[in-house]
Amino acid sequence: MIYTLHHIIEEASKSAPHAIAFSCLNKTLSYSELELKANQLSYHLISVGIQKGDRVGIFMNRCIETAIAVYGILKSGAAYVPLDPFAPISRTVTIVDDCQIACLISTPQQQSKINTLVKSVPRIKNVVGCEPMVGPSGTKWEDIFAQKATTAKRIEILEDDLAFILYTSGSTGKPKGIMHTHYSALSLAKIVVDTFDFDEDDIFGNPAPLHFDPSTFGYFVAPLVMAKTIIVPDAHLRLPVSLSALIAKEKISVWYSVPLMLIQLLQSNTLNEHEFSSLRWVFFAGEVFIPKHLKALMEVWPHAKYCNLYGPAELILCTYHELKETITGEESIPIGRTWANTEHLVLNEQNQPVRNGETGELAVRSATLMRGYWNNVKLTEKSFHRIKIANGYDHIYYRTGDLVKLNKDGELLFLGRNDRQIKLRGYRIELDEVESVFLKHEKVLEVAVVIIALEKEAQELAVAIKLKDDSDVSEAELRQFSSEHLPAYAVPTYIEIFDDFPRTSSGKINRRQIADIIDQN
Amino acid sequence: MKETITNYIIEHITKQKVSGISEDEDLLGSGLVDSLGMMKLIAFIEKEYNLSIPSKDMTVENFMTIEQILNYIESIK
Repeated sequence: MIYTLHHIIEEASKSAPHAIAFSCLNKTLSYSELELKANQLSYHLISVGIQKGDRVGIFMNRCIETAIAVYGILKSGAAYVPLDPFAPISRTVTIVDDCQIACLISTPQQQSKINTLVKSVPRIKNVVGCEPMVGPSGTKWEDIFAQKATTAKRIEILEDDLAFILYTSGSTGKPKGIMHTHYSALSLAKIVVDTFDFDEDDIFGNPAPLHFDPSTFGYFVAPLVMAKTIIVPDAHLRLPVSLSALIAKEKISVWYSVPLMLIQLLQSNTLNEHEFSSLRWVFFAGEVFIPKHLKALMEVWPHAKYCNLYGPAELILCTYHELKETITGEESIPIGRTWANTEHLVLNEQNQPVRNGETGELAVRSATLMRGYWNNVKLTEKSFHRIKIANGYDHIYYRTGDLVKLNKDGELLFLGRNDRQIKLRGYRIELDEVESVFLKHEKVLEVAVVIIALEKEAQELAVAIKLKDDSDVSEAELRQFSSEHLPAYAVPTYIEIFDDFPRTSSGKINRRQIADIIDQN
Repeated sequence: MKETITNYIIEHITKQKVSGISEDEDLLGSGLVDSLGMMKLIAFIEKEYNLSIPSKDMTVENFMTIEQILNYIESIK
């Protein structure tokens, strides 16, 4: 019986030991190799003192070792915390401190960044996969794989134990850690497998980095059906011509990405040059797919099935809408219905359900619901909508902050946000966090972050800055400052210094007018 | 040419603080250059060397490292 995430590969390694589990460029891992190597890593982690409930960081870009790291950490009883190697070091340090990571799994390619990181965080005592110049002890992958993996003590891991923490933009300026247990993540994998017709012949394309929840598809859903996952290398994701060739060459049958990636593939004009007959499913999530582009894609790949998925990382995913017929290219695509083991409410501002067809905030109750935000009970409670059934027994819904309404077919339509969180090219960004970063600069008095949107698909972030009296600072310096504290996708494209801000009659900063001014410049 | 391209990446594209880039470093995998950065780099090369790079040539094989970029430019000159 499969109760935990690592049971997935333990089962697969018995039923299909030689089947390929993961592949990246010219490296592959069969299920039996993955099971062995993950065991070897877990024994090492236990031997250096990792205990159940500890957090272990994964500091890697997309590569085959990510799979060993994920399963090895889980088998040791610890939870994995993916750290984006492209993020500014200060952000990574904040995360490592927040969840008290003492051990990192990495690769030799990250050597120089690891050196910088361990210098800033003395709490890191062990590094696997590369040897830091100073500080903690490093263990090479070769040494991990040379161990005899038979003698370690067995750790009892329950489905209720923590499996991973995903950090996302927090409105206060500090990233928040979304905790998922083995139960919530395995529930997601089971529901997805139950909803769609995947089998062991499928080949999943996984472009998502580990710190984004869509990676659960490639790392857990695919292994649950003993399918193969292609980890798409970073370079291919940045060059759509090569990405298109890779999808064809690897005969990918299940693709899941943000719409933007699919639009870039379409615009690379290479989809007629290759053979894509293996492609059965195209899933997309993370932002609205502009219907005219989706229509064009469906015309180029008419044999594939298309499905819009929806869910904040707190739930991983919770609704789906399969496109049954050709679309007009004008009507927006519904986010659909909640799937198995999941229910929802649409709430008004008084926390009461709205009438059918009225707009309200989507609240979802599901087996895939996170445990909460790491070390932040207050924020966790604020994000939950509780319905008391009896003393000590509540039904807990997650408040998504997304505004929705039901259409005439009983499907949910996404209408926008009730706060200042946005999605830009599929990335989740809190505008308040971006503002708080600029406010940290000693010469900055006031900040307004706005979205400039000539067209829906060409949105850019812009920031208007008002400096303190007698201060002088260049836009370049502000850009450098913000890129040291924000992930690259959240650094505004336009940075403009204003003598004063336009204000509304009540004295609030008039962001709409600021957006117009920047737009005209 | 090597210096011009390396300097352009360091000064105008990468958001990381780097002093140099080795010829065989994976520009995309290391995060030195992102998608928008790659578009900027290609536009720069076209202007600087008076070339026209067809979109079908914008591949991993031609643009992953500075060495590959130099070889590619030689091949289409």
